[in-house]
Amino acid sequence: MLNIRIDGKGVTVAEGTTVLRAAEAAGIAIPHFCYHPAFPPEGSCRVCLVEIEGIPKLELACATEVRDGMKVSTQSSRVREARRDVLEFLLAEHPLDCPICDKAGECRLQDYFAEYGLFPGDFREAKEKRDKRIRIGGKLLLDRERCILCTRCVRFLDRIIGTSGLGVINRGNRCEIAAHESRPVDTIYAGNLAEICPVGAITDADFRFKTRVWFLESRESLCVSCSRGCNIWVDVHPGLSRAVRRKRVFRFRPRPNPDVNQYWMCDIGRAAYAAADEERHEAAFMPRSGRDLRLSWDKAFILISEKIKASRELGKTDRIAVVLNTGLTNEELFLCDRIFRRGLGLKNIFFADPPARKPDGFLFTGEMTANPRGAREVGFAPVPAGPEFLAAETELLLVFGTALAETAGKGSALEKAFSRIGTKVLFASRASSLDRLVDIVLPTAVSVEKNGSLTNINGRVQDLVKALEPVGECLAEWEILSRIGRELGLGGGIFEPPPALEKTRRAMNSDIPFFKVGG
Amino acid sequence: MEAARIALTSRFGTKCMDSLPVYLEKGGYKTARRVLLEMTPAAVIEEVKKAWLRGRGGAGFPAGVKWGFVPKSSGKPKYLCVNADEGEPGTFKDRYILGLAPHLVLEGVLIASYALGVGDAFIYIRGEDVRVAQCLENAVSEALAGGYLGDNIFGKGFSLKVQVFRGAGAYICGEETALLESIEGKQGRPRLKPPFPVSMGLFGCPTVINNVETLCNIPLILENGAELFLKNGKPRDGGTRLFGVSGRVRRPGVYELPVGTLLRDIIFENAGGLGDGLTLKAVIPGGISSPILTPSEIDIPMDFDSLSRAGSMLGSAAIIVIDQKTPIFDVLRHVARFYAHESCGKCTPCRIGTAWIRKIVERLAAGNGEGRDLDEIMRLAENMRGKTLCPMGDAAALPIQALIRKFRAELDLSIGRIQGKGEAVC
Repeated sequence: MLNIRIDGKGVTVAEGTTVLRAAEAAGIAIPHFCYHPAFPPEGSCRVCLVEIEGIPKLELACATEVRDGMKVSTQSSRVREARRDVLEFLLAEHPLDCPICDKAGECRLQDYFAEYGLFPGDFREAKEKRDKRIRIGGKLLLDRERCILCTRCVRFLDRIIGTSGLGVINRGNRCEIAAHESRPVDTIYAGNLAEICPVGAITDADFRFKTRVWFLESRESLCVSCSRGCNIWVDVHPGLSRAVRRKRVFRFRPRPNPDVNQYWMCDIGRAAYAAADEERHEAAFMPRSGRDLRLSWDKAFILISEKIKASRELGKTDRIAVVLNTGLTNEELFLCDRIFRRGLGLKNIFFADPPARKPDGFLFTGEMTANPRGAREVGFAPVPAGPEFLAAETELLLVFGTALAETAGKGSALEKAFSRIGTKVLFASRASSLDRLVDIVLPTAVSVEKNGSLTNINGRVQDLVKALEPVGECLAEWEILSRIGRELGLGGGIFEPPPALEKTRRAMNSDIPFFKVGG
Repeated sequence: MEAARIALTSRFGTKCMDSLPVYLEKGGYKTARRVLLEMTPAAVIEEVKKAWLRGRGGAGFPAGVKWGFVPKSSGKPKYLCVNADEGEPGTFKDRYILGLAPHLVLEGVLIASYALGVGDAFIYIRGEDVRVAQCLENAVSEALAGGYLGDNIFGKGFSLKVQVFRGAGAYICGEETALLESIEGKQGRPRLKPPFPVSMGLFGCPTVINNVETLCNIPLILENGAELFLKNGKPRDGGTRLFGVSGRVRRPGVYELPVGTLLRDIIFENAGGLGDGLTLKAVIPGGISSPILTPSEIDIPMDFDSLSRAGSMLGSAAIIVIDQKTPIFDVLRHVARFYAHESCGKCTPCRIGTAWIRKIVERLAAGNGEGRDLDEIMRLAENMRGKTLCPMGDAAALPIQALIRKFRAELDLSIGRIQGKGEAVC
């Protein structure tokens, strides 16, 4: 370990640490554009220059490794001037179109100017005119006037994805970022380019001009689009009521986690933000050909539990079928196990998940739900729900999720099978073609609206923390399951009112060894 | 002027020196043969160190010291790259050598490769020099056929492949790491240092990059001994230099003279002084990137340390003579345009700084400026100086600052006159 002093503050770091990382460890921020922790230092933006005692020239904080006893100044007048000079150079050719720039509010150039600049502009020459709206692939737009040529985008595609889809063309002040004309950026990780762009040069058409970032609050969550369990930020607009604006979530962003997703997430996951607001069920209802009939949760619970009880008393629980999915949390799957399998002894427990895709060898696992591993650890062997379960003499069908619409036969086959079943209850967060085939639709929370835990493909159990309150009357499945268990009078303590996730988790942790230590 | 006791160009007068038979007839490859058969690589490096041969490309780093930095056993192949990019305006000495005596370069490459344990050498030649590149390629084929390159040279078990690599014509590719990038097939843009090429250069392997003239001195040093070579120049700066004199002199050309020859003597004796009716206004002593000297500053020995003490640099020893009729504003404009054109654009200060300065100068040339714009140029040059990724920031900033500092009065006058006429002076 090496001891160094940065701005008089002592810090001990491992050999090979750069000055910039050491400063971060000491709580001192050093401005940087081209440096990104995922890549080796580039040293081209020159804004991270610092003064090191005994070295006449200013040195790059991003590339200089610390030596024992090193004394670094990040605030000396020489350093401040050098920073100011770099900002002046970058702003000289910058269009300064911040009012109409989507990056405003989270732009490093803007932030650093506020912190280290605040000088009057002295550039009296004509600025270069460049293209401002180039489609470079996917939903990405490139604005070459705003670009500061940090080449983070180029290096991301070179080093992380390996497709080298972007490059710098021309020389000097004529330098510009460009994609191959015949081959635009084509990767499901393209959204990261807008993310790592320190300025408003690359923006995502999906997010562009939808809101201003300073209205957004970032809340922790997990991506549930596949079983990687990428850690994410849910960017929520908290200020407007749903009556005024139906959109609450504006984007998902990766939340760095070196053990899971490093700094990245895929575009499938990014696009999933829309599921939080679009086509949501908000209240329980009974679909009818004419007008839907509203239903209260209390009534629904009684209805379901009465049906189950009746079957149980008649010893005909084999006429109950449950369709689960591996997107449910560990706790929810544990409750399913305690209620349907152990509690009621059901044989007809099926799983319906969206069809798997090809894994890409990077983050995307191809499993289209978040928790297949969790389901296995709880004790289920998730068998896809084929048409066979429909052939049974089912009187009560409980369906969690809407994947069935995609997997169990074509629409008409499913419709025919459903028509033979007495009571069909669907628990779903969003509208789907199943709504018209069932008797009762009960609204559930989406992942960003619930607490719980998920087990990723590598067996890593991660906490899902509620980022938003559920819309309308939506309930999380664990809460629904707790209520059903209670109505059925099942024992084990976990169904005692009031419903609490903590009780379930404690029971799960003590019953299943996999979840025991550290979760 | 005392003639050099040993001269690199001594055989350059011979007809057809570019052909192998003639080169051999004049004693060519004799030194290489003796070195390979009789000397150890370590002894060669030691001799070059003792000779105080300093890099002729411009930086003046002692070649022997550089060779000594090459890791002995990295487990990776080692490379030698010959920098024949020669892009510095005013410089034409390497082209002269390559065209007249390509085998002298190859003999230097052979000895250096032997000393360094290099099996593959690249000669990076600037794209515009088509004829010179052809001449060099012919020489390589001749040497290969004659057994002076290729496998088992002189039966010593030492093998060397030499490739002539033509660049695409970028000033920045004379910068050693940009040169490496270019050979690797990438854009010619400098790398962040460290790591330095001697430890991690071409394709990530230890690489020595030497200038053409530097390598041509190697056979000389080993033929005559380091002591004599050193005596030829100055202490800590041995040998001769090939001074390329251009501008308003009677006899422009390449002159080989001992390191430390007075600049005044080179201009007025070797190059015959200025033409009829012309008087000296200024001299650029070492290529366009070296800060300009006034007539009162030319009694200076042309060696690295003397020029550096005078606030300029010897660089590539390309002397550009400027007469009283040449407006300094034109020089400034030329320098500003050149660097804005040649900046690779990788790092912020050089990319924007050179372009910004050019824009101001062009505005001044169009009559839309005033004297205080020169202060702005001085400030911008200062903001580039010492803060760029590679030495090109300094190469642009220093000559521009010197021009304004030393010729402020004339520049102010020119700017005033352009304003009055509304047109450029040139």
